[in-house]
Amino acid sequence: MQRLHARYPFLEAARETVASETVELATVVERDPAVVERAVERVVASLEDGDTGEPSRDTRTELLSYPVARVLVSAVEENVLVRKYARAEAEEAHDRFRTEFEETVELKSAASSGLTRETLLSEFDLAGDVRAVEGGYRIGVGAYLPLAAGCWGDEWRLVNRALSDGEVPVDETELHALLREAVRARVEEGLPFAVPEEIVDSLEAEVARVREILADLELTREIDTVVPDLFPPCMTALLDDIRKGEHLPHHSRFAITAFLASIGMDTDEIVELYRVNSSFGEEMTRYQTDHIRGETSPTEYSAPSCATMQSYGDCVNMDDLCERISHPMAYYERRLDDADDEEIEDWREAELEEA
Amino acid sequence: MEERTRAYLRGRFRDYYRRTEITPPPEADEREWGFIPWTDGPGTTMVRHRSLLELGDIEDFLERKRPRHVYFSVGRYDDPGAGSMGEKGWRSSDLVFDLDADHLPGVTLGEDSYAEMLAICKDALYRLLDFLEDDFGFSELEIVFSGGRGYHVHVRDDAVLDLERDHRREIVDYVRGIGLEYDHLVDRETVSGLGRKTPTERRTLRIDGGWGRRVHGYFMAFIEELLNLPEDDALERLTAFEGIGEGKAKATLNAARNNREELEAGNVTVHTAVSQLAERFLEEAVERDNAPIDEPVTTDTNRLIRLPGSLHGGSGLAVCRLDRAELEAFDPLADAVPDPFVGHEIAVDVEEGGEVELGGKIRTVEEGPQSLPEYVGIFLMARGRAEKEKE
Repeated sequence: MQRLHARYPFLEAARETVASETVELATVVERDPAVVERAVERVVASLEDGDTGEPSRDTRTELLSYPVARVLVSAVEENVLVRKYARAEAEEAHDRFRTEFEETVELKSAASSGLTRETLLSEFDLAGDVRAVEGGYRIGVGAYLPLAAGCWGDEWRLVNRALSDGEVPVDETELHALLREAVRARVEEGLPFAVPEEIVDSLEAEVARVREILADLELTREIDTVVPDLFPPCMTALLDDIRKGEHLPHHSRFAITAFLASIGMDTDEIVELYRVNSSFGEEMTRYQTDHIRGETSPTEYSAPSCATMQSYGDCVNMDDLCERISHPMAYYERRLDDADDEEIEDWREAELEEA
Repeated sequence: MEERTRAYLRGRFRDYYRRTEITPPPEADEREWGFIPWTDGPGTTMVRHRSLLELGDIEDFLERKRPRHVYFSVGRYDDPGAGSMGEKGWRSSDLVFDLDADHLPGVTLGEDSYAEMLAICKDALYRLLDFLEDDFGFSELEIVFSGGRGYHVHVRDDAVLDLERDHRREIVDYVRGIGLEYDHLVDRETVSGLGRKTPTERRTLRIDGGWGRRVHGYFMAFIEELLNLPEDDALERLTAFEGIGEGKAKATLNAARNNREELEAGNVTVHTAVSQLAERFLEEAVERDNAPIDEPVTTDTNRLIRLPGSLHGGSGLAVCRLDRAELEAFDPLADAVPDPFVGHEIAVDVEEGGEVELGGKIRTVEEGPQSLPEYVGIFLMARGRAEKEKE
């Protein structure tokens, strides 16, 4: 049981285990540096890598680090942290349960905890809404909508689904993505909560550290200069494709649009930049851009990291600078720093002059 | 509106409420109530944020207050009488749809008659019900004639009550066909072999539900039509599409003849020209099948909506709850005329005459003082086209 709870600490049963086995959380924070350290790693990794870091070998430490991480996130009290943290916990859980569901009975790995799809569905009260059918699953539309709202891509939009009799057909991968969203909602629920003064005091250094990392990330997001010539090669390639009228897969379209939104472009400007080709689909671009920018969705998305770009095959034409950075935003930032201020001409101003 | 007219309408509204049994919506005491009283001047002030606790029994209230319009909220709250939405404490909301002749494509305002507008609206209602009953599988539906220019549908299935604004937006987009993309209606499957070196992709239009089924329906209807035409005419029909030349037309026609079953099953891989052709029926499907609902009504979880059984103060017609089975035969301009207003005449001074279609017939009303069936008089007075004359 302990292992299951340590691997999936958002489970209701895990919470009960924590409640029954621990003394006060305040005492843990004060006297258990290993737990606090692991909690900090969970939070820091969520910001830096989008995952929850290396699990502790000690199940108790691992299990307790989750509620302590929630305390830490609450103490920092930043919405962006809550979002990124919940997303990372959900991604991690998703990776874990996906692998676990795929393992056959004979080939259970050591890490396996015995979690089944059915248990997870019941955990989120979805047992009655999801049923297995030939080739996949069908999920009730009332359960589908809130979960799909957090999923990226137009294929999730109800209008594009084969809805019938109140059920949306989904394949296994999609069902798992919806479960990931259920985890995310569960993790996010109640965050940030009010943290007692004495706990805030004992976590002072940790809170400061997370704030610092946040501030660094925040800086990245405040670039408000659009110089296509300085874009990283991956983004340049994607932008060229769009302007040529190529049909981009969703992850690629997402990547370039999120990148452009991150460097300060608003929806109108992005539409304008894409417009060179008339078949780029203005309405869809607007919808996607608003979604990415968090205007029509609960989340503001950031551009994917180099690792993600690579895994989708979107990392192309690497140059020397690429070797030294791990995020397309970092590439662009460096190029901007290196460029002479005189040379930087914002694309938007150039457009204005032309007009 | 003159005082005499107002007093008359208030009096007759009371008589109506005295004789009419009103069935309130479920959980009426968790809802916010609002009403517009009869006041002079053109401005209308809605009294809202009232709970049933404050209003008392709804029938007593209507008889006592005989408002011009009365509404209840689609939302249910912890404290429905609180003055702001934040304080109310939202619990859940019915999902509502509003079809209003004012916003319908196909309606020409000022040209189409009231009856024509309502007929167009009823067609749209059937399209909406197709989505709600077949696609969404809703069973707790309440269909209502608004007493004015359209229809409302209240959905109270458990599955929808907790949905928030953004989720409801998805439902709106679904019934309107907004954001529909052909690529996503098509399943892709890599199939190896088929005598080729490289594996090929099998593309199948999803016909098991959603818009895919609708697009496929129109596509197959067209194919059917093609097959019934002489070769030359069929080719002509095909080349009439932009981007389809003689080659593609021939390929498509061949595919239609030789791969009919595959096409029936949604397989559009039979020829690239076929897939391109199928895609063209997306627009047609949306144009013909979408339900042009008034979008903000559906996404608003705090919306106030007209109470079925009450009177519409802008027409003097009853807001009618309709059984699904009686919808077909329902004629709003006859069946929504309140019984108490039928069977006698009253004196009115008509300021704006013209055709009035009510009670199952069309009559041309002259301007000036005259005697008219009461429901016609009330209709004209409620619309501001007549004043009450001394009897």
